[in-house]
Amino acid sequence: MEIIEKRQNDISIFKVNGRLDSNTSPRFEEKILEAIKNGSNKMIIDFEALDYISSAGLRVINKTTKQLKHIEGMLILCSMQDYIKEVFVITGFDSFLPIVSTCDEALMKF
Amino acid sequence: MNGGKISFEFRSSLSELDKLHRNLEELGKSLGMSKKTIFQINLAIEEVLSNIILYGYTDKAEHWIKITIWDQNRTLNIRIEDDGIPFNPLEAEVPDLECSLEERQIGGLGCHIMKSLMDDIVYKRLGNKNVLTMKKTIQDT
Repeated sequence: MEIIEKRQNDISIFKVNGRLDSNTSPRFEEKILEAIKNGSNKMIIDFEALDYISSAGLRVINKTTKQLKHIEGMLILCSMQDYIKEVFVITGFDSFLPIVSTCDEALMKF
Repeated sequence: MNGGKISFEFRSSLSELDKLHRNLEELGKSLGMSKKTIFQINLAIEEVLSNIILYGYTDKAEHWIKITIWDQNRTLNIRIEDDGIPFNPLEAEVPDLECSLEERQIGGLGCHIMKSLMDDIVYKRLGNKNVLTMKKTIQDT
């Protein structure tokens, strides 16, 4: 797994490459917590290059959403492959998380 | 592999997941499985394995988990055997998916995902082993 972090105005964009599983998710969590600590409260996670996610990855997303809510921030997910989106639907995560088709669309939500 | 079985053995460590992913990619390609089916099988197995590795053992010793896979008329059978504490994932508490974000508890999520993705799951405790058999219809590429 590889994470590319970008900042556009005051929005942090994380592009996740590869797999978010029980083995790699702790590193992903560290990266996000670090950004929150450094003052980010608007985040986009771009899943265009994500091949795989398990409950460990969902746990990080859930935790991030909660933390950002406490500091009046927001998390938006974008560009998911269909079979990844299905996992968000099965688990009901799509009911509390904004999921949009493209990164540009996500940027317009802030 | 038609009719034949293949087996993999994994140490009780999360770093073994890379090996699992690689093995399943290869198997999926050799059976002409769609990317989606390979993903769903991989995900179901990871949820079972990570539960065993994180919560299944009461000692610090190294344990082995055996996975056997065979194709039966385009239905993939996956058997997972471990010598951890008795655990039947079919009886795991179903997470409340309707509750608000603040109340949402994450435990049980992995079992819920596994049950949603597989067509059939049977759990047995045989001697000192948990034996879980899952079935999934193969979707062709």
